[in-house]
Amino acid sequence: MDNNSNQGSIRFSDANIVYPNGTVGMKDLNLEIKPGEFVVIVGSSGAGKSTLLRAINGLNKMTSGTVEVDGEAVPQKDGRELRLLRKRVGMIFQDFRLVKRLTVMSNVLIGRLAHVPGWRAMLNLWPAHDKEVAMKALERVSITEKAWVKASQLSGGQQQRVGIARALAQEPAIILADEPVASLDPVTTHQIMQDLVRINRELGITTLVNLHFLDLARKYGQRIIGLRFGELVYDGSAKTVTDEDFRDIYGRDFTEDDVLDEDVVG
Amino acid sequence: MSAVPAKPPRNWLAWGGTIAFLVAMTWWSAHGIGFSLTELLCNLAGGSRLLQESWPPDFAFLPRLYEPFMETINIAIIGTVVGGILSIPVAVLAARNLTLGRVTWFVDRNFMNILRTLPDLFWAMLFATAVGFGPVAGALALSVFTVAVISKLWSESLEAIDMGMPEAVRAVGGTWLQMVQFGAIPQGLQHYVSYALYAFELNVRASMVLGLVGAGGIGMILEVQRANFEYERVSMIILAVLVAVLIIEQISETIRRRLE
Repeated sequence: MDNNSNQGSIRFSDANIVYPNGTVGMKDLNLEIKPGEFVVIVGSSGAGKSTLLRAINGLNKMTSGTVEVDGEAVPQKDGRELRLLRKRVGMIFQDFRLVKRLTVMSNVLIGRLAHVPGWRAMLNLWPAHDKEVAMKALERVSITEKAWVKASQLSGGQQQRVGIARALAQEPAIILADEPVASLDPVTTHQIMQDLVRINRELGITTLVNLHFLDLARKYGQRIIGLRFGELVYDGSAKTVTDEDFRDIYGRDFTEDDVLDEDVVG
Repeated sequence: MSAVPAKPPRNWLAWGGTIAFLVAMTWWSAHGIGFSLTELLCNLAGGSRLLQESWPPDFAFLPRLYEPFMETINIAIIGTVVGGILSIPVAVLAARNLTLGRVTWFVDRNFMNILRTLPDLFWAMLFATAVGFGPVAGALALSVFTVAVISKLWSESLEAIDMGMPEAVRAVGGTWLQMVQFGAIPQGLQHYVSYALYAFELNVRASMVLGLVGAGGIGMILEVQRANFEYERVSMIILAVLVAVLIIEQISETIRRRLE
């Protein structure tokens, strides 16, 4: 995979997103993320975590300001240019978003859609190279033996691994993970987080993860970004973040609902 | 437990009004078409004569039904396949969550409604005029009819799909077509097959009627025998059609239930 070091940088400049119903999703955001960083974004629900991720691949459009990937502004209207950007940005979802009736392999190949001629994808005639990339992506999350199993027959953790493999099959410069562990049990949660960290280290893919649980953020994050009402209220190292900082981000004392392993609450 | 509130009184005025309205409508309509019960009773004798002449069905005629019956089935199959394929884009563009913009949606939606409003007999006559009487006209008419049936039903089930998967396809850089193919259609596939089978059932029945206006198949034989007062053959045809339709519907229904 060809991720050289100057790929995968992100920069928000005076960025604002206001939804049609008046909700502020992003407010005057100025943020720079360097290639290969592993960033965890925290904040209570509705703080704009998803909005931030979805602005990077153009699923949410800017009201004002810009977001750039590798120095180029993310196109603000659908079309070929936006598709070319999305080709380099993988996304992982809370609800996995797999085609349940299709095999794991077919699902991972969806990550290759933007890399092959349209007629090949349409007729399911994938080039050998792309099948190989898909297989390698499955290897990376150690789930190759499930390649020909239907997605509906996998457990939640396995489905999320397929979700990660689909993103890896894009050979992306950036991975956006939107609450990737929110529908998983604690054990699987740690496995998936470890997978994401390992992939970030091995391939140098810039990774942004939205998390709800504070202890996970502290444990796996390199850099933590805190959002509140769409505003950046914290930006610092996961090593030095204090309980006080979390209180500021959440605007309240945190409870056992905010952590995965309850005994962490002191 | 809290006390059950008293049952509200029935609105007798609304009930009486509705019944009076229905009676008045029926009387007005019967008067309009000159329907009279006495005349009907007098004509029952003629009806029973017809029944007597139709009995027993002429089983010797059965082998001669094979060819026109196969023609009917062929018309239904072609109509279902051609209409089934054409209905895919019509349904997708008529689904609000998948369509390519408001104008396309509006045009397609109205196109679909026009197809649905015009009856299959109208299409049969139109195509019979255009390509001549015969099975081709019947197959074309049923193709249009099938598009109308499937696209209406399917566009509604497509509107109910989970949009997460289509969004995931867009997020990997997929085109609109790929979003439809990989994100939307897999979720609607079961419904599609079910509706296509349903359309096939309707088409078998309809292709018999279409024969009456010269669109080939078993309906055409039926019309010829009726015109020649060969009632024992007519009853044979009706019996054969009844059995065939029941069998086809049973098979189709079994498949459809398996799918769900």
